[in-house]
Amino acid sequence: MTGKDAIIDRYQDLITTYIKGKSETALYKGQQFSRKLIEQQISPEDVISLHIQVMHDLFPDMDEDMRDSFDFLLEVMIGYGFAYREHQSLRDKQQQLESEIEVAASMQQTLLLSDVPEVDCLDIGVISVPAKKMNGDYFNFVKDGNALSVAVADIIGKGIPAALCMSMIKYAMDSLPQQQQKPHLLLENLNHVVEQNVHPNMFITMLHGLYNPDNHTFSYAGAGHEPGFIYRASEDRFEDMIAKGIVLGVSRTATYQPYEKAIEIGDMIILLSDGVTECRTSKGFIERDEIVALIRKHMDRPAQELVQSVFEELEKLQEFELRDDFTLIVLKRVV
Amino acid sequence: MDIQSCVEVRNEWDIVSARQLGRNMAKELGFGNVDQARITTAISELARNIYLYAGNGKICIQPIDQLGKKGLKIIALDSGPGIRDIRRVMEDGYTTSGGLGAGLPGVKRLMDEFSIESTVDVGTEINATKWLR
Amino acid sequence: MNLQINHHTIEQTHSLKLAGEVDAYTAPKLKEVLVPLTEKEGQEIIIDLSGIEYMDSTGLGIFVGALKSTKANNSSMKLRGMTERVRRIFEITGLTEVMDIENEVKGEAK
Repeated sequence: MTGKDAIIDRYQDLITTYIKGKSETALYKGQQFSRKLIEQQISPEDVISLHIQVMHDLFPDMDEDMRDSFDFLLEVMIGYGFAYREHQSLRDKQQQLESEIEVAASMQQTLLLSDVPEVDCLDIGVISVPAKKMNGDYFNFVKDGNALSVAVADIIGKGIPAALCMSMIKYAMDSLPQQQQKPHLLLENLNHVVEQNVHPNMFITMLHGLYNPDNHTFSYAGAGHEPGFIYRASEDRFEDMIAKGIVLGVSRTATYQPYEKAIEIGDMIILLSDGVTECRTSKGFIERDEIVALIRKHMDRPAQELVQSVFEELEKLQEFELRDDFTLIVLKRVV
Repeated sequence: MDIQSCVEVRNEWDIVSARQLGRNMAKELGFGNVDQARITTAISELARNIYLYAGNGKICIQPIDQLGKKGLKIIALDSGPGIRDIRRVMEDGYTTSGGLGAGLPGVKRLMDEFSIESTVDVGTEINATKWLR
Repeated sequence: MNLQINHHTIEQTHSLKLAGEVDAYTAPKLKEVLVPLTEKEGQEIIIDLSGIEYMDSTGLGIFVGALKSTKANNSSMKLRGMTERVRRIFEITGLTEVMDIENEVKGEAK
């Protein structure tokens, strides 16, 4: 109670000084006083009431209408404070959620981080950028003796459910090491895992491949994934890397077809996610041949610079608004 | 000693009547301007809840005298759908988007004592008290 | 851009005519209409996609979910009238193998 009285006295002093002198100093003191009010957790409507009380004391003959207007203001401020606090607590909640997503996203990054391995005969470039905080695209490199296994996957559905699903894929793949050698068998096994464990609306597209540096062949299989390209240096031509097969998680009995391509010096294997071909610009969709043209434009540069430049140009075309996660991988045979 | 007066809440005008009833009694009991405004705002919110979501109910106002300690109690009664998860509606930030129970944390904050009882498909009773200081 | 769903039922046969886009934003709306239809035994659902200009993978996911539901509940679903862009994503994902897809639009579904 005495605390409150002290505040009333102080407010009365301050306002009297101001009314007499109209000085900036008095206003400044008023501003400082408002901090004290916050420290003491005095609500806006209490401040109004404080003002009213002081005005009544200072001007006992205050006009009746003026008096009533203060009561009206008080009523408005209580309602305002009521709604404001509710709004505030919603915002607090939202912030809390956002920071939790932030944490989950960075955990995902660490969990799923795949180092780009060194392979003597290959120049490798990788870029993977999420549209939102969590990436629904996944890529993974595993060096198995001499051979290099590479996977690109797109988890359908976005955000957190997709990210959780991706962790499942990663651990399922880790537990199937012998199948890394046979992409079509790996997909068949993953399909079982996915089919049994995901929500009916979710599925996964994946391309898995194995580069064998001993005879320079690339064997691969696809589960409904956006086809990549193979660049044939001898003919200076891009060919579609067709891999027929149904997405993971839809049909229990699915089998996948094995493919194998010979890779010559100067050839490139290009893997991507459908975020690359589903890019939408103000002029419509980006077609596959436009992607090819972009790759062609930058293909003389080292693989990492190549993927970076293609991404930057596509980002610009989309006015820096990524609608889908974007992953592009280039394996260039150098020797 | 039950000298409570009640207002049935069926339409928006009844909210005003409930406020008026609360204000008169608060004045009589000697509540200051700020507390009067707090009490009527709380009544507004409770009555609006009844009007919007329960469809049918009443607001009762009752003076309290407990061993010389004086106060005012608001009782909001409805026979609406009830609240399934009271803990959730009492969480701060539970919706301005509406639904039965919206704004209850705010009512609790405006008043000194607050209690709620609700049975699904039977109804809800909310008691809120402000003490005279 | 939005999704319009025109729903027509004659006995056990439900005709849905879709127009607009099926993407992450409109997919829940489609799901809300489509999935309950698949959950009753013996229902036949025919979906006309000729008015769909764009479908993303989330949209595709709704059809996958509906397909699974028809299998679990003994109902059926047929897709017709796909534009080339939409058809391409059903082809790439291999879903043409497991879904009943009719190539030509026979008569205009009202």
